Amino acid sequence: MDQFSRRNFLGAGLVLGASTLFGKEAVKPIVTEAKPFVPPMIAFPEKKPMKTISDRPPLLESSRDIFTKAITPNDEFFVRWHMPDIPTYIDLSTFRLEVKGSVKNALSLSIDDLKSKFEPVEITSVLQCGGNSRKYFAGSGPATHGVQWGHGAMGCAVWKGARLKDILNMAGVNATAKYVGVNGLEKPAIDETPIFFREMGIDEALTDELIVAYEMNGEDIPYLNGFPLKLIIPGHFSDSWVKMLSEITVMDEYRKSFFMDVAYTVPDNDCECVISGSDFEYKRKPIAQMKVKSVIGYPTPNSVIKKGSRINVSGVAFDQGKGIKEVMISLDGGKSWSATSLQKDYGKYAYRLWSFSWEPKTKGEFSIMVRAINRIGNIQPLPGDIGWNAGGYQYNAVDVVNVKIV
Amino acid sequence: MKINILIAGILLSTTALFAQVTKPIEMPYVEYPIEAGDHDEIVQQYCLTCHSFGYMLNQGKKSRPYWTGTVAKMVNEFKAPIPKEDQQIIINYFVKHYGYESTTGH
Ligand code: HEC
Repeated sequence: MDQFSRRNFLGAGLVLGASTLFGKEAVKPIVTEAKPFVPPMIAFPEKKPMKTISDRPPLLESSRDIFTKAITPNDEFFVRWHMPDIPTYIDLSTFRLEVKGSVKNALSLSIDDLKSKFEPVEITSVLQCGGNSRKYFAGSGPATHGVQWGHGAMGCAVWKGARLKDILNMAGVNATAKYVGVNGLEKPAIDETPIFFREMGIDEALTDELIVAYEMNGEDIPYLNGFPLKLIIPGHFSDSWVKMLSEITVMDEYRKSFFMDVAYTVPDNDCECVISGSDFEYKRKPIAQMKVKSVIGYPTPNSVIKKGSRINVSGVAFDQGKGIKEVMISLDGGKSWSATSLQKDYGKYAYRLWSFSWEPKTKGEFSIMVRAINRIGNIQPLPGDIGWNAGGYQYNAVDVVNVKIV
Repeated sequence: MKINILIAGILLSTTALFAQVTKPIEMPYVEYPIEAGDHDEIVQQYCLTCHSFGYMLNQGKKSRPYWTGTVAKMVNEFKAPIPKEDQQIIINYFVKHYGYESTTGH
């Protein structure tokens, strides 16, 4: 282990790949600028150039302008893995989804089985990383732990697949079963590192809406989004939407695991928050349902707009599945608010596009703010009012974009 | 300890986004900048096994307690095999190049 520098480690991999497979030259490294850190824009397989926070594991952030679309294109959809060892090829003739544990008949299902033996269902749903928008916590308090995402760790897609419930019913869950564990093919670099394993209660696993998806926006799921199978949990943060899903384990007992009990947790109290700057010394619970949120897609920060022009301010809003009631906009830093017009409804778990026609009549700096409220009255907090947590999860404060009118 | 060598795939120019992936995908390799000096070779030896340097750069400047805690997390939770003396060298490196001295804070 001691001799392994990154160069040797990856270098060895490259030479191996090159000589054993197609005899191609090793890839040229892409050298990025020095500090301050601006993630380079790099095109990964099946993706347009995206903000590359890390290449290994890949962490790719979408640009803000994707929030002018109700459905996020596959080649601009964000990417977030945890482990570095991700297969670069999956042979569908041998790939199997294993369903095992506390069941009457363990199953080993091919993609064809999933497509032919179960009723196909489709759902349009937002997929949002629990740490999405985390860097904005630093605007009103101390920066939190974790990857400093902007808003671009979310997207909305049409997912098609088989119901998890139908798969579990085919296997026949034992009466003693209490939890369902899920994991995919990503692996740590060393065997001792905990694997990315997630769990949910059996009741949740048996609800109608969870699906094992094999299609995203009418295509195979892109490799980096979890080809060939991804678990879909509408309304929930993406931490259990396992990519390259390969094992479903029904369990009678909860299994302790780093990625359930330590990562992706918030303070276990009503506000799910603590005093800014406190460390992790609190009782925790896993993050679950998403919070009402809206984001501005156009214009983008620091845009320069000509006085007297008419622009269509637009963006997306969503919540945990109750449905968006209204999105309000302020052009004077929060003093007065007006209603935006809501666009087509793609379903309660989808993005709701909103827009507002604006004709700036005076020159100067403007702060555009938007605030969504859902059908049960959940409303986004103002940036100064959002509850803080050390992990930087669930950021959903009012979005602010500053523009200049000239 | 066993290391699962990452098999770097072979270039597949994916202009045809609708096509199914029929060959191994090729992951670009990004060489994130790493400040030289203060035993950066030890940092490179231990801190790049499981993830790229982008993870560290993305954090912004952090306090000594932050880097001490992060290195401890890598060792205790993720089982990074780093001897005690080297952990201290690594913490000092990050505080100097990607952080600041302080006894509290993040
Ligand atoms: C044994 C594997 C391993 C080694 C070696 C390792 N890390 Fe990590 N590190 C991880 C894992 C796993 C994560 C979490 C991955 C994720 O969430 O994407 C992580 C995350 C991080 C993060 C992101 C913030 C956070 O707290 O999650 C930072 C910063 C970091 N590591 C720094 C380091 C430094 C500095 C070193 C060298 C001392 C190091 N790592 C060595 C496994 C490792």
